[in-house]
Amino acid sequence: MQEKICDIRSDATGFNALAALSEKAKALLFEKVDLDFQDCTFFEANMAAPFYAVLTKYYEGMNVVTPTNIRSDIRTILQKNRFLCELGFCELHDSNQTTLPFKRFKLTSGEQFSDYLDQYMHDRGIPKMSDGLAKKFRQSLFEIFQNATQHSQSEQGIFVCGQFFPKQHRLDFTIADAGIGIRENVRRFWKNEKISSCQAITWALQGANTTRQNQPGGLGLKLIKDFLSLNRGKLLIVSRYGFYKFSASGESCRKLKDDFPGTCVNIELNTNDTNRYTLKSELTSSDIF
Amino acid sequence: MREKVIIRVIDTIGSNLCIASEDGQKVFDKTVPLLQTGKHVVISFDGVSMLISLFLNVAIGQLYGQFSEEEIRDQLEVTGLAGEDMEILQRVVENAKRYYTNPEKYDKVWATLEGEDEE
Repeated sequence: MQEKICDIRSDATGFNALAALSEKAKALLFEKVDLDFQDCTFFEANMAAPFYAVLTKYYEGMNVVTPTNIRSDIRTILQKNRFLCELGFCELHDSNQTTLPFKRFKLTSGEQFSDYLDQYMHDRGIPKMSDGLAKKFRQSLFEIFQNATQHSQSEQGIFVCGQFFPKQHRLDFTIADAGIGIRENVRRFWKNEKISSCQAITWALQGANTTRQNQPGGLGLKLIKDFLSLNRGKLLIVSRYGFYKFSASGESCRKLKDDFPGTCVNIELNTNDTNRYTLKSELTSSDIF
Repeated sequence: MREKVIIRVIDTIGSNLCIASEDGQKVFDKTVPLLQTGKHVVISFDGVSMLISLFLNVAIGQLYGQFSEEEIRDQLEVTGLAGEDMEILQRVVENAKRYYTNPEKYDKVWATLEGEDEE
């Protein structure tokens, strides 16, 4: 059987397409599936992470997935970022060094994720950022990665991928899982099966809300929003039917047509940012406690 | 003068990455008995290369569930954090104080909320 792949961008259309592709996997068992890229003229490289979350749904049914008819420019970038290596293609050298390659991590791999960032965030095509900006960006990525390890219950792990777009001064980094989604966690916490995906995302983003029992928490996403607001960057959270986006100009959540299998968070960093993030704070323990 | 005990975070968790809640729990578990016996505890973050709020919620925020603000202010000290990380700690502490002031869920409306139909 054949499934057509259209353009995949980090937007609602791209995620609707991925969610629809995931829906089609639900009824499939032991099939040979050709993913036909004939109509795909653009594939944002960082979207390899949520794309892989969708593929895991095909693999759950023991289906064999083969990409076909990929345009050479798209094939090149997805070989450079190693995504297509997961599907039997060879790796291509990333001479511009603008990719943070696709990688799968187990839920217990926080230290390996740190090694990955050390390896790919330094001395490559990714622009030299101020120490403060680079630290804030890494902290944001860790908050998201660790959130996924804590809450996703993704048996297949966590999938990451990043891409620097030099002309737009933009660095997109995407962390996806194939887990139960924010909605399921919030529904269980409130014992309310009627909470929608957007309502669950909204709840998770409110100040100190967390589904952890008897422990304060839930600050991570708030800190990321505060940071991206200053940076003039963007945050995208897609979880099950919810598509949430945030930028300095506002925030919104809309319902996807189909069920995205898990959660995907995309941080878009403005690499032209000249704000200072390193603070010579005068705060002491006694001021804080 | 009260005895001062230093908890070196990197020795306690065996890493310079303060990112995992399990590691935050190790620091919390080490701190609690010391505070209970009236010691002055210094949590030293010297040598830490990465710190996130998730870790601090568990390591320090949780203390507000067992000790009063006065006890913590009197007995606990934190060293080795950069200015911007002290600001994260401040947010974590404010959050924890709010949480333990009202550990019952903030907004019960969520228990009965009905959203759009989803499968």
